[in-house]
Amino acid sequence: MILEVKSLSKAFGGLVAINNLDLGVIEGEIVGLIGPNGSGKTTLFNLIGGVITPDSGEIKFNDREITGFKPHIVCQSGIARTFQLTKPFAQMTALQNVMIGRMYGSEPVRSMRQAEEECEEILEFIGLGGRSLSVAATFGLVDRKRLEIARALATKPKLLLLDETMAGLNPTEMEDALQLVKAIGDSGTTLIVVEHVMKAILDISSRLVVLNYGVKIAEGKPQEVVQDKKVIEAYLGEQ
Amino acid sequence: MGKRKEAKLASNWKQLSASGGIIGLLVLVPLITTRTDVITWFYLTLLYIALSQSWNLIGGYAGQLNLGHAAFFGAGALAARYIWLHFGLPLPVAILGGGLAATIFAMIIGLPAFRLKGIYFVIGTLVLAEILRLVFYTILPEADVMPMKLLGTYSLIPRYYLSLLIAVLTVVIIYWISRSRLGLGLMSIREDEDAAEASGVDTQRYKLLAFTISTFLAGLAGGIYAYYSAAFRAGGLFEPVWTFDAVIIVFVGGVGTIVGPIIGSVFFVLLKQILSLYLPGGIHVAVFGVLFIIVVLFLPGGLIELMTKFRKRTSVGEHLH
Amino acid sequence: MIFILVAQTLVNGIQIGAMYGLIAVGLSLTFGVMKILNVAHGEFLMVGGYIAFWLFTLYDIDPLWGLPLIAIALFLLGAAFYQLLFSGLTKFHEEIKMKNTLLVAFGLFLIFPQIARWLWTADERAITPMYSGESFPILGIQCGYVPLCGLVMAVVVILGLHLLLTKTYFGKSVRGTTENWKSAKLMGINVERTYLITFALGAALAGLAGVLVGMTQTVTPDMGMPWTIKALIVLVLAGIGSVGGAFFAGIILGVVESVSAIFMGPYTVALGMGIFLLILMFRPQGLFGKA
Repeated sequence: MILEVKSLSKAFGGLVAINNLDLGVIEGEIVGLIGPNGSGKTTLFNLIGGVITPDSGEIKFNDREITGFKPHIVCQSGIARTFQLTKPFAQMTALQNVMIGRMYGSEPVRSMRQAEEECEEILEFIGLGGRSLSVAATFGLVDRKRLEIARALATKPKLLLLDETMAGLNPTEMEDALQLVKAIGDSGTTLIVVEHVMKAILDISSRLVVLNYGVKIAEGKPQEVVQDKKVIEAYLGEQ
Repeated sequence: MGKRKEAKLASNWKQLSASGGIIGLLVLVPLITTRTDVITWFYLTLLYIALSQSWNLIGGYAGQLNLGHAAFFGAGALAARYIWLHFGLPLPVAILGGGLAATIFAMIIGLPAFRLKGIYFVIGTLVLAEILRLVFYTILPEADVMPMKLLGTYSLIPRYYLSLLIAVLTVVIIYWISRSRLGLGLMSIREDEDAAEASGVDTQRYKLLAFTISTFLAGLAGGIYAYYSAAFRAGGLFEPVWTFDAVIIVFVGGVGTIVGPIIGSVFFVLLKQILSLYLPGGIHVAVFGVLFIIVVLFLPGGLIELMTKFRKRTSVGEHLH
Repeated sequence: MIFILVAQTLVNGIQIGAMYGLIAVGLSLTFGVMKILNVAHGEFLMVGGYIAFWLFTLYDIDPLWGLPLIAIALFLLGAAFYQLLFSGLTKFHEEIKMKNTLLVAFGLFLIFPQIARWLWTADERAITPMYSGESFPILGIQCGYVPLCGLVMAVVVILGLHLLLTKTYFGKSVRGTTENWKSAKLMGINVERTYLITFALGAALAGLAGVLVGMTQTVTPDMGMPWTIKALIVLVLAGIGSVGGAFFAGIILGVVESVSAIFMGPYTVALGMGIFLLILMFRPQGLFGKA
């Protein structure tokens, strides 16, 4: 098990965001995390990523406890994440953006030259090869998402958390994104992917986990989970 | 070697030789002229280059608004003055002591403040500068005057060379940092602290590091002033104007660039001379305030941005021909 | 005898603390609602003091009766500056907005004292109506007439503000905007106008405090920054975000200072720094803030 979440709970004021959650992720999986709005998906990412600390429960990564660790330590341990609303380093070039990941991530490189070379390759891989010296602020939505993933990949993660990568993409872009995610999975990185676009998540996930009101209501093979009555009710309730 | 790399190396050589040339000329200044007003003008510009670059590191590159920079300049100046003048130790010891004194105060604010949200750092530095100002006006109300013996043999030349040395040192340090992994990390903190953390940057540690270096350099700049000034009141070393001068120079020149504060300092000292001739009292400060606000609202890149835009426009013109 | 001394110190502390609270509340309101840390807040206090001085000196208007005039004048002044300088910045996302508004306010902080010095000279001005020095004993404690009025005024204003923020539509729009300006907008709240009025209110509160300071101390062009600093210390002591708490924290600070002055004398100024650091290190959420 690369990631183990046990009895995790988090409340904000009176609102319970995550309720006694157990989750296990096996190395090499692509886990799809779905659920209606407000079900706690991003909160879970924030908890794993160390942005917020849980009220109770524990998070273990490769059998090491990482509960409450600061985000940069979590990253250095080998967990990377993207954000729902992309957070690029706007006034820095694409290359510099990715270099941050490479130079501060889980296998940090100290030489600027080496980082530059390797990050050019990462940008090439992700499809931003020609724009490495462009300032991130000039990027449109799709390229910003690509950049965010490139930066996360540069940290050499064992586990990558993708938060709603498909949001706002047209069908062609979505297809490209899917291919990219599959390629990342194929290279050995474990993935937890949060998505609202059903078609996409069914396509790439080896396993689906469904949250509602911070509670896991279903888990298993995508095709089965999607037919689960509880899941359907949860989504209909959202209507 | 790739074309891009070739071009980069060539421009590096150009930069290096240009800087070397300028420094060479500056070294010659006291040998070329004996006019004290000219040497003083150069001295002031160099002092402001050092002070503004030191602020540029924490404010421009790391993006942390230190509105109490005067606290560190003042701590450096006061410590250096006492070590040199009152305890009789050699000048280098005094200058370094000034830098150290500044960083001690930096730790006092930085350690608690950087654990919390950014606003606490802003408030903390503001409060620190003001408290020090009040405290020192209270406990050292009389002016600190150079003894007659010293005033008799006072020469501007060593003051000038000290300011040149520290200005060059400061610019070199900031330049080196800006091109290093540290500099990249600081900029990422400026751009988006949460994303930087998520990418593995220990934001708290790096902010503290930038702050330490920044305040140390500000303390050195204070030492320049302590060595130069015939008389001052201790509290006056902590007046907000020292912070403001540094901040406005950085912004008007071009925040987060190396050349910006240098151009800004030249521009500032020149403008100050001109304005104080025609305007009463401290009105030139108000003029700078207005200029500053205009820059913040309409030209955040400062003079550098203006120059880049101008250069682009003229080069486009060339293309059309 | 000791009782009298203690009680006197307490009363003095409460009176000056009320002034601290008044100016801190204005700052807290502006920051809490709009995330604008107005480091030029003390400048509005200074302007208020000068207006009161000139009204009194030129037109014989008693400063206490002039309070509503000051409040209106500063409200308009605050609104003008907000509209001119800050309104364009509020559309940016939080971190950029905070930085740029801070810088603009910093610019103002340098402009105001120079203009004031140019217009009114650096001479210290005190507002001294007939009853200035008078005091009367309550239970053996000497209560200055002016400080007492100041205390009453501050309490009345704060209560009024509290009612405004809890019982009126404006108050609701302020709270809604503070929580989440995007949803507030969707619900039909005019966010821009709420910001404008809030900022203007903050300036008005500072102006009122300025009148008090002018009556109990003096008015000078450079008085703004020390008072802004005081307000900031109170803000942190109360807990950033606690507007009501700011008033009480002001009083607490006033009392603590008053008591410490007995032991610390002229070094009492350092007390503020000490308190600030203690809060930062051990209770960053302040006395009344949430953890």
